[in-house]
Amino acid sequence: TSNSGSPLIEPHFTECISRNQETFRCWWSPGSFHNLSSPGALRVFYLKKEPPTSQWKECPEYIHSNRECFFDAHHTSIWITYCVQLRTQNNITYFNEDDCFSVENIVRPDPPVSLNWTLMTISPSRINYDVMVNWESPPTADVRLGWMRLEYELQYRDRNTTNWEAVTRGLVVIIIMMSSVSFCFLESPVHLTLVFVFGTVGILILIMLIVISQQNRLMIFLLPPVPAPKIKGIDSELLKKGKLDELNFMLSSGGMDGLPIYAPDFYQDEPWVELMEVNETEDVDSGEKEDNRGSDTQKLLGQSQPVSQHINISCSNSISGPDAESAQATCYNTDLPEEETLMLMATLLPGQPDEEETSLDTVERSSASETDERQLIQTQTRGPQTWVNTDFYAQVSNVMPSGGVVLSPGQQLRIQESISAAEKETKKKRKESEDSEESEERKQKEPQFQLLVVDPEGSAYSTESSIQQISTPPPSSPMPGEGYHIIHPQPVEPRPAATTEVNQSPYILPDSPQFFAPVADYTVVQDLDSHHSLLLNLPSHQTPPPCLPQHPLKTPMPVGYITPDLLGNLSQ
Amino acid sequence: YILTVSMPLDCKEEPGSLTRCPSISQEKLLDRVIHHAELIYRVSEESCSLFEEMFIPLPLRLQSNQAGFACITKTLPIPSSKSEIEQISDKWLLHSVLMLVQSWIEPLVYLQTTLDRYDNAPEMLVNKTKWVSEKLVSLEQGVVALIKKMLDEGTFTTTYNEQGLFQYDTLPDMLESVMRDYTLLSCFKKDAHKMETFLKLLKCRQADKYNCA
Repeated sequence: TSNSGSPLIEPHFTECISRNQETFRCWWSPGSFHNLSSPGALRVFYLKKEPPTSQWKECPEYIHSNRECFFDAHHTSIWITYCVQLRTQNNITYFNEDDCFSVENIVRPDPPVSLNWTLMTISPSRINYDVMVNWESPPTADVRLGWMRLEYELQYRDRNTTNWEAVTRGLVVIIIMMSSVSFCFLESPVHLTLVFVFGTVGILILIMLIVISQQNRLMIFLLPPVPAPKIKGIDSELLKKGKLDELNFMLSSGGMDGLPIYAPDFYQDEPWVELMEVNETEDVDSGEKEDNRGSDTQKLLGQSQPVSQHINISCSNSISGPDAESAQATCYNTDLPEEETLMLMATLLPGQPDEEETSLDTVERSSASETDERQLIQTQTRGPQTWVNTDFYAQVSNVMPSGGVVLSPGQQLRIQESISAAEKETKKKRKESEDSEESEERKQKEPQFQLLVVDPEGSAYSTESSIQQISTPPPSSPMPGEGYHIIHPQPVEPRPAATTEVNQSPYILPDSPQFFAPVADYTVVQDLDSHHSLLLNLPSHQTPPPCLPQHPLKTPMPVGYITPDLLGNLSQ
Repeated sequence: YILTVSMPLDCKEEPGSLTRCPSISQEKLLDRVIHHAELIYRVSEESCSLFEEMFIPLPLRLQSNQAGFACITKTLPIPSSKSEIEQISDKWLLHSVLMLVQSWIEPLVYLQTTLDRYDNAPEMLVNKTKWVSEKLVSLEQGVVALIKKMLDEGTFTTTYNEQGLFQYDTLPDMLESVMRDYTLLSCFKKDAHKMETFLKLLKCRQADKYNCA
């Protein structure tokens, strides 16, 4: 009889276990069928899935008191699937697919034996203890033979708690000896802390020793020395005192391979002296507008450009002004800010002032109307100029927005005087007077140095590589860009062909020991008044270089300069 | 785990030569071979569990026990009870191991490729299978060297791979394909256990011939 409410449970196997992987046992239960609980009412059959035959066989050994079926070693095969089922006397079979297994999967070894512990050491603080725990493998498991491989985990608990914890902290040393396992449980966290502290201190000391011993090299690595200025192809030694002649020779065509001479290119009908501003070549990223100066410097120094392309001409698309139609040019772009206006270059008459009348016509364009335009500024010089006695240059250090030119002081004091005179004159016209003053002051403090290579006859030109601008861009730069303006003296007889000879050797300013002259903007000398003082027109802003009208590819380099003598004469 | 154990096969000998490798002792070689087999079994066990978790639905899991009948190596004449195993010679122990190892090299390679077809096979499973496949080749080399050392047998070219135990074809049904792969993994786990056990028995015999029976 069975309760109507309780579910009917069939006879089933409760468990099959192997202790030693050599034999195994299975236990069953009659379930709700109490009539089958008597011994022999249920029979156990097993199936061994092993070729060639697989048929059900009865349990080799019954232990009815336990409702257990025991399979001895002879009947036990490892790695082979067994299935067991219960049958009644009437051959009613109770079989479940779950009752199939493989012996190695039902192994549950006996627990280890002879568990013992030994107290090894006690710390002085009586907080930490070293305990050795040892035990032996269960005798049923044939570990010695290697038939079974056992793994152990040591657990502990407080006496008055019930949860066992596995041993994880401290140093755990496992000693395996034959069939017994000893487990050394050392708890000493303080030692690790000390090790870390000492290790860190040692590493710090080591680093300091390395720094101290390699101090020099570290300093060089961290603060590399500033490279001395250099002209490509010119030994900087020559630029120092006393070697003017050699330098002159070098700069002339005879000495240099790296100073190509470009032919002048002029409009014969236009008394223009072309001014060009050196800009970056096409292949240089001109992303830094404010670094125009630096890149120009590098260009001039010939550091990063091929010999044959010293100057890029950056042109505006159209040229407004008195003679616009004659001043067209194909232009090559440099990425200059649109708002920059063209720098006006002051061309200062080369040669003796009393020998010729030099008239400078400057065309100053304001870029107010067209911001994208660059302006072509040309000045004109006339007449042959001799530069024989001229060995001195002044630098136009700033171009005032109003059109005046700021000349930086040269070697001699009179230059300074004249320059300051000019500066004073142009001060009123400045837009950004403060910055200019700063730069002027700075320039007055430092002897400035600009190298302009001039072709006296106008027949040959030196490239800007011979023009060395040894300067650092002033930090305040309301003056954008530009490196050099090279003034090309207009020859009386225009000579289209370029000659490589320079009759009058160009001169370099040799004497300045300091090579710091900020790159200056330029202004245009409008005219020379009767007193031979310069009338300067400062453009609003500078930069974009004037276009070379006809041959933008060929970049003739007009060169010109004003000598201190000249300036001195002018200012008198 | 020391998964980087490598077989110290210092000797590269020509096939057919009878010289032994003098560089490692027999005991050390046997130890290393056993270590290999232990690791292979452990990793194969983990791979099987991973695969089962990921791809085998619960009601189908227990059928792995029945898969013993479908293992590819069921035809190999390998003893399966302890009493039988205790009775066979060292030579047959070693050869049984070699048979097993060589039978599984190819199927494991196949298993690697088939795992790529699974959409979300965990990388650990793929890596483990790959590792096992590689280590099995090392184990084969070790067993071959051991045979040479222990049994004084020359290099023999017969490999049990040629029995062609494993034929695989792409099953159209996805579930069948998954079940077949599952069977493969289970069977390999079983055989890896066999290899480990045989080799350990062999070691016991080397140490103590009388007590190990």
